[in-house]
Amino acid sequence: MNGNDALFPQLATLGSSLVLLFGIALLWRRSLGAYVRAFRWQSLALALTFALIGYFGHNHELYVVAVILAVLKVIIIPSYLTRLYERVGGRREAQPYVNIATSLIIAGLLVSLSYAITRPLVAVSKLPTRNGIPLAVGLILIGVFVIISRRKALSQIVGFLVLENGIALLAALGTYGIPLIVELGVFLDVLMGFLVMQILVYQIKDTFESIDVEQLSKLRH
Amino acid sequence: MKFLLLLLPPFVAALGAYMVRPYRATVGWFNALLSLVSLGAALVFAGHAARGGEAPVFGPGELLRADGLSALLMVCVAAASTLTLFLSPGVGTETNYTQAQFRRYQVLINLFIFSMLLAVSANNVAIMWVALEATTIFSALLITLARSKSSVEASWKYVLIGSVGIALAFAGTVLGYFDFVALAGRAENALNWPVLLQNAPAMHPEVMKLAFVFLLVGYGTKAGIAPMHTWKPDAYGEAPPALAALMSSALFAVAMYAILRWKVVADAAVKDHYADNLLLALGLLSLAIAAFSVAQSRNYKRMLAYSSVEHTGLICFGLGLGAAGVFAALLHLVNHTAAKSLMFFLAGDIERRYGSPAIKQARGLLKVAPWTGGLFAAGLLALVGLPPFGMFISEFALFRAGFAQHHPWVRGLMAAALLLLLVAFVSFITHLNRMLYGEPPAEVAAGETAGWRLAPMLLGLLALAMLGLTLPAPLETLLQQIVRIVSR
Repeated sequence: MNGNDALFPQLATLGSSLVLLFGIALLWRRSLGAYVRAFRWQSLALALTFALIGYFGHNHELYVVAVILAVLKVIIIPSYLTRLYERVGGRREAQPYVNIATSLIIAGLLVSLSYAITRPLVAVSKLPTRNGIPLAVGLILIGVFVIISRRKALSQIVGFLVLENGIALLAALGTYGIPLIVELGVFLDVLMGFLVMQILVYQIKDTFESIDVEQLSKLRH
Repeated sequence: MKFLLLLLPPFVAALGAYMVRPYRATVGWFNALLSLVSLGAALVFAGHAARGGEAPVFGPGELLRADGLSALLMVCVAAASTLTLFLSPGVGTETNYTQAQFRRYQVLINLFIFSMLLAVSANNVAIMWVALEATTIFSALLITLARSKSSVEASWKYVLIGSVGIALAFAGTVLGYFDFVALAGRAENALNWPVLLQNAPAMHPEVMKLAFVFLLVGYGTKAGIAPMHTWKPDAYGEAPPALAALMSSALFAVAMYAILRWKVVADAAVKDHYADNLLLALGLLSLAIAAFSVAQSRNYKRMLAYSSVEHTGLICFGLGLGAAGVFAALLHLVNHTAAKSLMFFLAGDIERRYGSPAIKQARGLLKVAPWTGGLFAAGLLALVGLPPFGMFISEFALFRAGFAQHHPWVRGLMAAALLLLLVAFVSFITHLNRMLYGEPPAEVAAGETAGWRLAPMLLGLLALAMLGLTLPAPLETLLQQIVRIVSR
């Protein structure tokens, strides 16, 4: 058991770092294909982290969650996303509102900020997974930043999905898994939220003939 | 059993509307009548709670629970839903929707109502979250029912802002649960509100503070507390009037309910008025932004949306002012639900008559449609808090609770709020004057659009006036029961 006790915190931190790293990878890529690939890898890393926590934390429900997560976020949603950008065009995030170099600096600042705001949390916690918590909060903030700073509706969807991954990671690290029924409800909401966003992208494409959200600026006062 | 009578009707209604193809008006009527069952169940719960009965629970792991607070919200949601379903397109209104649009509307609006009722009857705070997230999904699809450029734009902004907000609320829920797990280990029903509340005093205040900030920002986005209110004028302005009515009355109330539930837990864990101060600060910001936005509005639907932001601010204020404030805030919530569910229908009728939502265009309303115009004017006067309507009483109670506080800075805050209300008041009256009087544009034909639908709206307005003249005894005892739950 002693070997496990030393190994678990390290593996948990490693898993969380990988999940965060794929989130940052979004920021230095431009093509929507690369966005989807980064999201797919991130979800895979997340599913493995879930399984890891399930194994060391002796919570076998987490295996079920990891499998559902992998099916949903590694297979189903990325394939829908790929089909979506192939149909509506606009393969590149050509001119984000914030350029790539600045985006990366901001991402660094956001992760530092998340270390500052989660300090009380990490201080009171005795969980072996506590070192991953600032990374999860950092990923949540990066997800919000992607939504704000990117112009293509599809990039914003990926930003939202990354944000959801950050929250799932936070839940797994902080609580070793929330009750299964809640987890299922969350998955259902993510899937339906994604499908609604997809429908809206088609509607934006139909009515505006482009998915650049720059054009969504009619409503004022 | 009562829970089934509450939750099943909207679900059955959605299913029925989905199966019957093509849409027929009988489906709309049937669904409207069915919603009376929900309303009845909600009233039974409210009566039970007002008599001080033990909160009934239902389902595995006490999934559903109806204490006084839940019961009050059930009545608000069910009553607004019933009114909406009777006034819906495809029931009484002539609209240029196609059969497919009517059918889609009936399915989605009933699912929307179902998720709101589930959110207020859920005992588990995470299930409450799941239900609230579902409301975003169903309402987003309804906003684009007309499929115009501006409605698609509004819906996209609403979905993005709403989803981010609700995701942050989930992070807050997890943080609240996080401390619980660290404290008591993994337990069955740990996310049930009474269990959470019971363990709250032992929770770490710093963690709870962080959790509450996430929850306030998250659910505050759904409620439209400034500065997270930016989706509100877009969504309310572009949504079909029936949906705007339901979102501004019922959905808003449900989001404030979620904040209140967590505030009680936060208060039990953190002692130094932390949640109160946050609510007061955001309340003042909402009032300020609303007051100046109303002055600038050129569109009466967006003006009503800013009125919502104003009342959001007032209710935040009340929730942050101790027991008397909570009483006033909840009464205000009831009044607001009654007033707002009428106003968007009237605004929708005015827009159809004039063909434009611009205040400038809608001149001479009293000449064109005296009944619609009169009701609209009365509703707006109720919203700005004039007697004899209910909001006068609740705002009065709210300010009395504020000025009774010992801290001089709270009194200063209340004085600032009063000033902002005055700014909003002047702007509302100016806009209303421009709409009511003057010569109507030549191309607008005179006549009422609403027809028989004026009757239920008149009934709503009478209820609002009644709440201003007297506080019905059952409502008062129910509110007192709730205050006992909420501020201990």
